[in-house]
Amino acid sequence: MFYREAGQFKTTYQSDQAIFPIAQDRWFVFAVVAVAYLVVPFVANEYWLQAILIPFLVFAMAAIGLNLLLGYAGQLSLGTGAFMSVGAYATYKLTTAFPDMNIIVAFLLSGLITAGVGILFGIPSLRIKGLYLAVATLAAQFFLNWLFNKVSWFYTHNPSGTITAPPRTTLGVMVSGPEATAEARYMVCLILVTVFAVLAKNLVRGRVGRSWMAIRDMDIAAEIIGFKPLHTKLLAFAISSFYCGLAGAMSLYLWLGSAETEAYNILVSFQVLFMVILGGLGSMLGSFLGAAFVTVLPVFLTNAPQLVGVTMATDLQKHLEVMIFGGLIIYFLIVEPHGLARLWQIAKEKLRRWPFPY
Amino acid sequence: MDILTAIFVTPFSEIVAGPVFFLEVVVSGLLTGIMYSLVALGFVLIFKASGIFNFAQGVLVLFAALTLVGLMERGVPVIAAIPLTMIVMIVLAMLVEKLMLRPLVNQDPLILFMATIGLSFVLEGLGETLWGSNVKRLDIGIPEDVWQVDVGDKYMLLNSFDVYAAVTGAILVVGLAVFFHKTPIGRALRAVADDHQAAMSVGIPLRTIWVIVWSVSGMVALVAGIMWGGKSGVQFSLSLIALKALPVLILGGLTSVPGAIIGGLIIGVGEKVAEVYWGPAIGGAIENWFAYALALVFLLFRPQGLFGERIIERV
Amino acid sequence: MAKERTNGEVLLDVDNISLSFGGVQAIQDVSFDVLRGEVRAIIGPNGAGKSSMLNCINGFYHPQKGTITYKGVKRSQMRTHEAAAQGIARTFQNIALFKGMSTLDNIMTGRNLKMKVNFLLQALYLGPARREELEHREFVEKIIDFLEIQAIRKTPVGRLPYGLQKRVELGRALAAEPELLLLDEPMAGMNTEEKEDMSRFILDVSDEFGTTIVLIEHDMGVVMDLSDRVVVLDYGKKIADGTPDEVRTNPDVIDAYLGVAHD
Repeated sequence: MFYREAGQFKTTYQSDQAIFPIAQDRWFVFAVVAVAYLVVPFVANEYWLQAILIPFLVFAMAAIGLNLLLGYAGQLSLGTGAFMSVGAYATYKLTTAFPDMNIIVAFLLSGLITAGVGILFGIPSLRIKGLYLAVATLAAQFFLNWLFNKVSWFYTHNPSGTITAPPRTTLGVMVSGPEATAEARYMVCLILVTVFAVLAKNLVRGRVGRSWMAIRDMDIAAEIIGFKPLHTKLLAFAISSFYCGLAGAMSLYLWLGSAETEAYNILVSFQVLFMVILGGLGSMLGSFLGAAFVTVLPVFLTNAPQLVGVTMATDLQKHLEVMIFGGLIIYFLIVEPHGLARLWQIAKEKLRRWPFPY
Repeated sequence: MDILTAIFVTPFSEIVAGPVFFLEVVVSGLLTGIMYSLVALGFVLIFKASGIFNFAQGVLVLFAALTLVGLMERGVPVIAAIPLTMIVMIVLAMLVEKLMLRPLVNQDPLILFMATIGLSFVLEGLGETLWGSNVKRLDIGIPEDVWQVDVGDKYMLLNSFDVYAAVTGAILVVGLAVFFHKTPIGRALRAVADDHQAAMSVGIPLRTIWVIVWSVSGMVALVAGIMWGGKSGVQFSLSLIALKALPVLILGGLTSVPGAIIGGLIIGVGEKVAEVYWGPAIGGAIENWFAYALALVFLLFRPQGLFGERIIERV
Repeated sequence: MAKERTNGEVLLDVDNISLSFGGVQAIQDVSFDVLRGEVRAIIGPNGAGKSSMLNCINGFYHPQKGTITYKGVKRSQMRTHEAAAQGIARTFQNIALFKGMSTLDNIMTGRNLKMKVNFLLQALYLGPARREELEHREFVEKIIDFLEIQAIRKTPVGRLPYGLQKRVELGRALAAEPELLLLDEPMAGMNTEEKEDMSRFILDVSDEFGTTIVLIEHDMGVVMDLSDRVVVLDYGKKIADGTPDEVRTNPDVIDAYLGVAHD
């Protein structure tokens, strides 16, 4: 009885095209966003911010990127980790070479650089499809990992091979480096994610999004209608890589502080892939839900035994965690292959009818 | 300038100057290649019969090896441990069919692929929980000598273990090819690979076929596990062999048994030669990605792999 | 009965087209023309090469011999998206809708070539992007009204029954405001009412927009009622070409349909 759309008539196409056409949805999202901006920074403790919220935001950005490429444009990429590394290393080189550059500008530029790399590795998609394309993107993953490891220019010949985010301020607040507070870093992440999520949503509900979905669903018919496969696919790779690069830059500067190539290896690519699939392909909400699930679950599993009062050898615990993670993935895929976003939709349907069963 | 010479001139001159050494490198590459083929074969079997790209194949290798070593460590003699492990792999195949394949029948291939990734996590965790995660030695009695093979007035050095492994691999591969093409079960497998519905309508029991296929893949994984594990010890990185098999599959075509063999050989040789002759110029360790780059180049000319089925699209 | 629609100008001229796949000769030396504004039917028994002919016209197949002259420009090879840019739109025998999108979105894809605003402005959804989207939305809504599919506007097309999917596909083709509309068995699998509706839509398209239509159809009644002229193919060759009445009484055509043995 609370969640009814009856009576909410749209009188213009404009209102029909809105991101949240149902009023209750709008209120809910505004509430969540308000809490995120106004409440969380004051209430959350360091651990929550550093271990859960900030990585959630970083991975949400990466998940949006991969979702655009895989969920909307139908191109399977296993190189997400490598693209994140491009963003991280690019920002590192930019900020060390131009100490006066504003950090946000550095982020955006490195996103553009990653987009360029993405286009390069996306070129095979014009000839290769499906699983074969996935393996081609693995070439990107392994090659870039190797490149950043071997060519010492990338980490300015630092003998340990790690890159460290130098301290930077924005609007007078220290946002990266050892003195930046978790709250400050969280806010920057939050702002970046909200802005770019809205941009992505706009893209996805317009011509670009339709062109991607057309190529995804039936690329031959899409071409017959007049979509140019070259432009569509490369644009998808470019924009998706931009988001992943941005996420990589965020991960280095706003979350980890320092990293080496291992932090962006194939396991990261799989992590983001899980987020997108578990969350729901082709759904912006899904990217967020998936990122939340995959970021929170390991933390939960690590802490769960203590909560229940059981102590376990760390080795054993780690193995069990891996097993449970894999088991949950299989379970979710069986129960709802369209992901958490679909479960959410089903919940909304039920809510619409509540308290009636049908 | 130096780097250009190093890439375009030096390697070739080195090859010409030392042909026997080159032969050694090639042979070593071929031997490794057979091993890749073996792992790739496991993939091809499952893909052909059920359309699933089984990412967990690598972990199956690890799991099989762990189980074997675990049994041997507890005093079971090799002669019994191997069949016991095979039984474990068969039971595993049945469980996978019942708990994972059946509920997910008819789902998108991508979903199935993701499920196999999940499976790989489960098996990895399980294996390590049951048998521990430290590196183990696997010794089932294959001799490890260095043989000297005379070629003209020079000689080549070969590792006997590698040769035994390659020969076993080759036998297995040929055996499987024969199995596929000559036996009734093999025929049934090929029927299922072609068309599930049609196969069912002539009475082929789909589920039994799947159990058979996963069991055979499990045994292939066991052999691969023995070979690889014997060489470099049984540890987590064994599961990453699967990642090496991917370029082999790409090259050979996902659905082709001969493709897996030839692809494996090409990748094995290509990788070794590249590492030995070109590696030093670019910094070494190019084995990590060279196979993929090679496969990628092939793909651009033949998107379905050397022997893969041409995907014909109609509107 | 078809009324006088055309001004006599030749829009499409198919000249000695031959097409083969591997060893199979799908089309052999077929020539015919299509006048602007008319409704031209291509009929013939199964396997006669009708769909292949349509595929040649819109550039999906490339004939080994012969030329196609469209709007006065002679060409032997054309890519499909060029054909689309030239004003050719089509529907497909087996429905090629984008199953993951709604009816509205599917038809909106038909407007693709008319939408020019670049992706950056779209991401911001400001000014020009928003105006363009709404403008085209209005046009598409007119098509939705025309085809009477308002109720299924937001339904993912994968969930629609076959007859409605065919109608949505027609909508998508119309959205491109084509000069030449190719319809591949638009009535296949429909019952009588659905066929009547579809026939009405096709006639309306021809009358209101003056679109030239080439249509493949098996239902003789439909062909006789809708078309101005008919081409008959059999085993890849043209065996008749004329008005519906002429073709209906042609002995070769009757033989082909009754299945008289060919040497």
